[in-house]
This record gives sequence, structure tokens and C-alpha cells, in this order.
Amino acid sequence: MSVAVPVELAAAASPVKAVYAHMDCLMTGIVNLKKAGFTDLMVMTPMPRHEVEEAVYEGEPSPVRWFTLCGGLFGGTMVFSLMSLTHANWPMILPGGKPVVSVPPFMVITFEGTVLWAALGTLVGLLLNCRLPATDLPEEACDPRFSSDCFGIVLERVGANDAAQIRHILEHSGAIEVTGGVAASPGAVANHGDSHHG
Amino acid sequence: MKNLTYKDVNKDVLRPLFTPDYAYLGVLGATLTVLVVTGLCWLYQMVYGLGVAGYHPPVFWGVYITTFVFWIGIGHAGTLISAVLFLTRSRWRTGVYRAAEAMTIFAVMTAALFPAIHVGRAWYAYWLFPYPNQRQLWQNFKSPLMWDVFAVSTYFTVSTIFFAIGLVPDIASVRDSTTGFTKKLYGVMAMGWRGTDRQWHHYMAAYGFFAAIATPLVLSVHSVVSWDFAMADTPGWHSTIFPPYFVAGAIFSGCAMVITLMLPLSILFKLEDYIHVWHFEHLAKLCVFTGGILTYAYGTEYYVAWYSDNQYEWGTFMDRVYGKYWWVFAVMVFCNCIAPLVWWFKKVRTNYVGLFVVSLIINVGMWFERFNIIASSLAHNFDPAGWVYYYPTWVEGGILVMSFAWFFLWFLLFVKIMPSVAIAEVKEAMRPPLKYEPEHAAK
Repeated sequence: MSVAVPVELAAAASPVKAVYAHMDCLMTGIVNLKKAGFTDLMVMTPMPRHEVEEAVYEGEPSPVRWFTLCGGLFGGTMVFSLMSLTHANWPMILPGGKPVVSVPPFMVITFEGTVLWAALGTLVGLLLNCRLPATDLPEEACDPRFSSDCFGIVLERVGANDAAQIRHILEHSGAIEVTGGVAASPGAVANHGDSHHG
Repeated sequence: MKNLTYKDVNKDVLRPLFTPDYAYLGVLGATLTVLVVTGLCWLYQMVYGLGVAGYHPPVFWGVYITTFVFWIGIGHAGTLISAVLFLTRSRWRTGVYRAAEAMTIFAVMTAALFPAIHVGRAWYAYWLFPYPNQRQLWQNFKSPLMWDVFAVSTYFTVSTIFFAIGLVPDIASVRDSTTGFTKKLYGVMAMGWRGTDRQWHHYMAAYGFFAAIATPLVLSVHSVVSWDFAMADTPGWHSTIFPPYFVAGAIFSGCAMVITLMLPLSILFKLEDYIHVWHFEHLAKLCVFTGGILTYAYGTEYYVAWYSDNQYEWGTFMDRVYGKYWWVFAVMVFCNCIAPLVWWFKKVRTNYVGLFVVSLIINVGMWFERFNIIASSLAHNFDPAGWVYYYPTWVEGGILVMSFAWFFLWFLLFVKIMPSVAIAEVKEAMRPPLKYEPEHAAK
């Protein structure tokens, strides 16, 4: 049974992967790709590098900070409320002239609650924004060399018309290996679709 | 030091993992044996009750609270090194922070045993935590003991998260260098980490926040522990100097313990290229600095006791020097004030024997400092009729040894299953490989 081939699927090429042994070559690759208008790229490094972050994110701050702030505010408020409400709930309140809800001694646990929940909020923010556990990364990104001594660039969604230009940029930036970027023929895509849907 | 490449870092740091030699197995077996044998002391106490400890009215805080404070103090250096030195961009933290963080967590895990040991009926330790109960009783949140529960549990949770997050990129390195079941196991723990720009972008932001969050905890936890004493009106305890005094003491003992643990680790696992004498020298300098604060605090305590003209306060302080606990005071002063002075000499603080021996002396001294504060104050309280001489029994001694075995057991397991040097951070501190020298690239 044959299936109609969607135009965008027919025009797609396989993901392109470039492997680098040198930091300056990696940076050249990123900058030249962005200059050519290819911004949907994934860069792999074995350690954090500020120049990579700057080149890819251009100073855009991570939203993790909002998770930290919200976590801290929630924690401080929640813990202070817990202490106040439980003290007010004692069956016999004999304060002897002292306030039942007393701010100075409650500040210690309020501080601890703020810090604890700010940390938990940061953890949630980290996991959500990093999309961890990461199960949907392309196979090309899962190269063991990227946790050892190599850097990498992967372009997952590549149009068949762009593949040659992308490969050219990566090869000329000093990549030690460039793979992918092969345009899938309409027939192959149709058969592929056939095997899934047929 | 040889010129290291990124590949060398992976190879060197991952080499000691998973392949225990006979020496390692021997030490592990000995530690396990000591843990089991001394653990029986705790079992004995549970069966026969707290009467087997050396308590005598009015002394009901002794070795267990001393050891609790000691281990909490040890736990300070890890977070100081990993968080405070991260924010101040101190380069020397890179080699030592992973093992120091692990030490923090295991020290707090050890400390956490002691409230349960101290209350006798350990199975009721959960009464400390706030939960709605049918007796309509809630904890008193104005009590410093409750503050301590929150401070220690927050410290433990935040330190553990900080440690675990720091490990993720390195676990991915372990995954990528192993095969079979080990690869699968570390793959699950790495949570699909691949070092993508997205992952690093949010990771570094979060890591900075964790460091910023953990920094006030370094100061707060031991301040709160000190309030367990300072909020009481017991002579020798009721002092506003306690929080900074305890924090300085905690960093002092924690850094000494880092030296005690990491010196043999770097030699036995051949990690001298990553943890070398330069790191230990910085730790020794930190000890000299905090030891100076501690000596100043000891002096201030005596000055304030004399100047206050409070006979109970002055009496307790004089009893510490001239009373039955004079030897505890002498050990404390020698180990914490005099012995570390040799580290003013570069020759000693860059010599492995000099570093190791003095770090051990400091560890001993800091345990005795807490014993001096706790036992001597309670044993020489307001009423002369209640003055006693508390000394630990064999059960308390056994449980003290058990705590060391428990701590070392965790540390020994850690160094075989996790990278004890932070691979990604070592690489970050290295000069990246460049094809063209910067001046060439500029042309």
C-alpha cells in the first residue's frame, strides 16, 4: 500500500553531525552556521564553556532563577505558616505574656525552609529546563567522545537543499569528522512510511 | 606535573573505579568488622537502656552530643570548598571539592545517628519531626533543638542535591567508558546527560544558585548547633560568641579532615596530578586562619567570663583549667592552638608527613573541644552539691568508634564507585585544545 509523501518530509535530509578536536574550530563552526542562518543547532562539550554558551544563547539568562525564587518564597511562607498555625493550635495556650506567634525565634526555621525550598525549586527548574531525564536526544548527540576529549555540533532538522551548505561550513571550520546530511529519496521516505503505516 | 589532555583526565580519574585490589578489600573488610563489632555496643544500649552510658545527674549530655557536634563540624568543609570557593572563583577547589563534598554528606549522615543514639529509644526519633498527631501535641518551634532538626536536615538535603547534581556530567563519563550492566546502571544515573549546550546552560545557572543557597548554610548550620548550648543559661554555654566560634571551629576541623582523607587517597589512587601539595597547602592555610580565630575565641571567652564578674561563669571557666577536666582543656589547647602553628612554616605545610600528622592532631583536638564545652559545663553547674565527674563508659567509647567506622565505610565505597575528582571541572580549568594559537587566529 503506498502512502502520500508529505512535502516537508520528502525535502528532509538526515541529521548532520560534526566532531571537533579543537575549541577554536568548534567556535568557528558555531559562528559560521549562525551567520548563514542555521540557528537550530545542538553543541556538545565535555565541560561547560562560557564562549559556547555566549555564542549559542547570546546572553539570554536561564529561567532556572525563577524556580529558585518561587521555591524560596513558597518555602519561607509555608514554614512560617506551619509554625504559626501549629502554635495557635495547641490545646492549652499559656503564653505568660509572651506572644504565641513570635517572629524572632521563628526566623531561624523560616530561613531554613526558604533555603530548602529554594534548593528544591532550583532542582525542579534544572530538570525541567534541561529536559532531564533526556530520552529524546538524537542518536548523533550520543557520541561517547563528547564526554571525553571531543566537541560536537548536531543539526537535527536539515532541509535537503541546505545539507550541502551545512556540510561545507562544518568541513571548512576544521571538523575532524562530518557525517549525515544525506537527502532521503521520496521513494525511500514513502517506503519508510509504508512500513510504519501499512 | 605532566601536560594533561582531556583524555588523560578521563583515564586517570576513572582508573581507580571498580577494580578493588587486596589492600582496598582488606581496609574495607577491617572497617566493616569494626562497624559490626562496635555496632553491638549500640544494640547493647538499646536492650539495657541509657543507664549503660556514663550519665550522672546533672550530666545527661556527654559523648553522644559531643560526637554529634564533632561530625556536624567535619561536614562544614565540603560545602565551604564546593560552594563558597566556587563563588569566589578559587581555582584550587577543583581538585579537592568532590571528595570534600562526599565527606560532608557522610559526616552529616554520621552526625544524624547521634540524636537517635542519644535519646535512647531510637525508634521514637521521628517524634522530632512535625507531623499531625492524635495526641494534639505539636513541637515547640521556639526551641533551639527544633531549630537544629531543621538546620541539619536542610543542610543534609541541600548538600546532597548539590553533590548529586555535580556528579551527573561525570557519571556520564563513567557511562561512556564502561560496557554491559555497568554502562546501563550509570546510564540511568546520568539521566541521559550528553553535555549539550542546553544542558550546560541551565546546569551552570542552577549550579551557581545551589552555591549561593549553600553558602549561608555553611554559616547557619553550626550557628544553630551552637544555640543548642548558647540559648541555655548554663555557665560556660550562655555566650553570644558561640556562633562565630563554632563556625570557625567547624571549618577548622573540616579542612583538617579533608587533608586526613585526601592525602592517602591521592597517593594510593595515583591522583597526584589532580590533588597535589598545592591543594593541601591552601587547606593548611585555611586551618591556620580559622585556628587563629578559634584561639582568639577561647581567649575572649575567658576575658568575658572574668569581666562579667559572674561567679558561676568564672567558676566554670576556672574549673575547666584547674578542675578534674584540666587534661581535656590541655589537649584542646595543644591540639587546636599550638600544634597548627607549625603550619606557618612552608616546609611543614608542604610536607606530606607534616600535613597528615597535624591534621590528625586537629581532629583529636576538635573532639575534645566539644567535650570540654559540653561535659565540663554540665558537671560544674550552679549548685556545688551537684558537681560530678562524668566520664564515658566502654559503651560510649564503642559507639564513638562505630561512628568513625560508619563514616570511613561510606567514604571507601564512594571512592570505588564514583569519580573522586570532578572530571568536567578539571577540564574546565584546563586550557582548551586549540588548532591555532590566539595570535595566529587573530591574523
